[in-house]
Amino acid sequence: MTENGKILSIQNLSTFFDTELGVAKAVQDVSFEIEKGKTLALVGESGCGKSVTALSIMRLIPTPPGRIESGKIFYREHNILEFSEKQMRGIRGNKIAMIFQEPMTSLNPVYTIGDQIVEAITLHQKKTYEQAWSMAQEMLDKVRIPDPARRMSEYPHLLSGGMRQRVMIAMAISCKPSLLIADEPTTALDVTIQAQILDLLDELQQSENMSILLITHDLGVVAQRADDVAVMYASKIAEKCSCKELFKNPLHPYTQGLLHSLPQLGTRQKRLNTIAGNVPEPLNFPSGCKFHTRCPIGCNDKRCQTAEPELKEVSKDHFAACWYAPGYEK
Amino acid sequence: MKTNEYKKMELKTEKKNWGTSYGQLVWQQFSKNRTNLVCMWFIIILFTIAVLAPFIANDKPLIIHIDGKVHFPLFDTLTANDYAVFIAAITGITLISLIRRNSRKVDPFLRSGVLWKQVLICTGTLLVGIILLLVFMPRKLDATDYRAMIASGKASDAIFPLVPYGYGRTDIKVSQKPPSNEHWLGTDDVGSDVLCRLIHGTRISLSVGFVAVGIASVIGIVFGAIMGYFGGKIDFLGMRLLEIMMSVPTFFLIITIVAFFPRSLLNIMIIIGITSWTDDARFIRAEFFKLRNQDFVQAAISLGLPLRSILFRHMLPNGIAPVLVSITFGVAGAIFIESALSFLGFGVAPPTPSWGQMLSTGVSTTGEFLWWLTLFPGLAIFFTVTAYNLLGEGLRDAIDPKLRKAV
Repeated sequence: MTENGKILSIQNLSTFFDTELGVAKAVQDVSFEIEKGKTLALVGESGCGKSVTALSIMRLIPTPPGRIESGKIFYREHNILEFSEKQMRGIRGNKIAMIFQEPMTSLNPVYTIGDQIVEAITLHQKKTYEQAWSMAQEMLDKVRIPDPARRMSEYPHLLSGGMRQRVMIAMAISCKPSLLIADEPTTALDVTIQAQILDLLDELQQSENMSILLITHDLGVVAQRADDVAVMYASKIAEKCSCKELFKNPLHPYTQGLLHSLPQLGTRQKRLNTIAGNVPEPLNFPSGCKFHTRCPIGCNDKRCQTAEPELKEVSKDHFAACWYAPGYEK
Repeated sequence: MKTNEYKKMELKTEKKNWGTSYGQLVWQQFSKNRTNLVCMWFIIILFTIAVLAPFIANDKPLIIHIDGKVHFPLFDTLTANDYAVFIAAITGITLISLIRRNSRKVDPFLRSGVLWKQVLICTGTLLVGIILLLVFMPRKLDATDYRAMIASGKASDAIFPLVPYGYGRTDIKVSQKPPSNEHWLGTDDVGSDVLCRLIHGTRISLSVGFVAVGIASVIGIVFGAIMGYFGGKIDFLGMRLLEIMMSVPTFFLIITIVAFFPRSLLNIMIIIGITSWTDDARFIRAEFFKLRNQDFVQAAISLGLPLRSILFRHMLPNGIAPVLVSITFGVAGAIFIESALSFLGFGVAPPTPSWGQMLSTGVSTTGEFLWWLTLFPGLAIFFTVTAYNLLGEGLRDAIDPKLRKAV
């Protein structure tokens, strides 16, 4: 992968977990690319493998029971799955940084905010304590924490959830990573804070020319912020295209269902539309297309029940994994 | 520079309230209970006695006039060992008062940095002091019997310590005497003063407690941290090793080992240390299992921090509480084991005073029961061990968040 502009390229990644009940195939055959300065949104229901994909990129999968079964993850031109733990430490934080879902527990309760950011800065950059300190303060200012000089010396429990998430972002971007993995960065926050955090990420992305892998289940967020979207369903990518295309022309019935279940502003609805049924458990996926049990088209189709569709390019830069997607069988 | 501005701001806000830290919360809870405070003061007094032992019980006078000249025999005969204890005590007190001062005056952010500098300076002075002592302090032996000099009129105006006997003094004429005006707690089989030996024995007991537990907790913490963090095969092998250690009756193991090594205090400390780390390791392992999957640990890994920092900087302070409690109990246990070993005759060699060894002289060779030789060292052991145990329990309750109501 020496193509210019590609920061991250994942090829056929599979991550499995060995459990007492059998092998849980959390991520199967997932491929996607992120270009420099762009945002890719990874969308899907809870438990579809979004977070496991993110953790696989950071090589944070607990082994055992987890293991990366196959595939390649290229950061620029290096396959980081072949890296030693020591090499990986140079990538983590420095090149690829991650923001976790839960801001309340992602900061160490026994150290001050300043202490934690300074440690992150001095780790990857040659800075004296004082330099790192003023840099950390600038970072807090950048993520719009009021009165950063005071906040620096406060412990995490004195901060609200939104503030902590900002601190996490400040910490993640303090090393100027070229890729930021944001694992549901706004799920635990209320709506006004969500918008602020996302605006902030947007702004930072533009000023630092950073790529973002945005993991979310909020299609509203996707519509506003993402350049490209990959929809995941039951450990596989169901559809992958540009953001505009996805909302204009969704091809996979799962994506259609997701979009259909969004509440519409201006219309009165007693009940929101839903997709019937539940996400299949990774321990016993249905045969054939994994979505056929809930699919309005494929539930009675013999082919959908027995054969699994591959992810194919159905039109230019639009990939889908559905037998019925127009242009799937050319 | 921006940094300077910030520093100036800090100086201005010196009197600011930084909120209650975890340590302060624990202290509030701890000091609510009067038993805890009594135990704490008892142990502080024990420490004071241990440090000042040569000044409290010594057969050399503090000041004496011989042929019209003023002499200070007690100071002249202090050993390098004594001076080392003084330096260590002063360093310890300085450090504790510095930490207390820091928590009031220094910005929490700068606290760890400031503390490190202070600790480095203190340990530096300590080491230099001890090395200088060892090099330049020849041990002076002074066998002069100052009391005889006073009696014969050669010397006058002497001020003796509170207990005017040395712990190594033998005087067969007054052996096995019950408590009297001269010997407040009586004398033992070779005529040494029991009170003097008790006071000097405090040093042995406390140092055994601390050094042994220090060794045990370092081994336990490192071992437990590695097992808890890595889990899997490393944990499996580690736990089996630990279970083997636990299945061996520690006391008999210690007796066996002691039989093979020379009887010295250091050997006993090391042996107690390397046989009693299993509890600490298990506590730390359990805590690390819990912490391993906490988000902040994952976040620390995802920042690319080195393993050392993750284990001991980010995880350990969050999981140290149960080990602190076990350390307190461990000190009591180590004192107890040392007493038992000395009682059985496997402990420190005789002229060195030890409570356990004093106990063993309670029954004379003629079969007579000398109650003062059993009661006083027995009480000393009992009170010390009880104080440590109660302290440990108090600490455990203070740390336990479930018992903590709104403070």
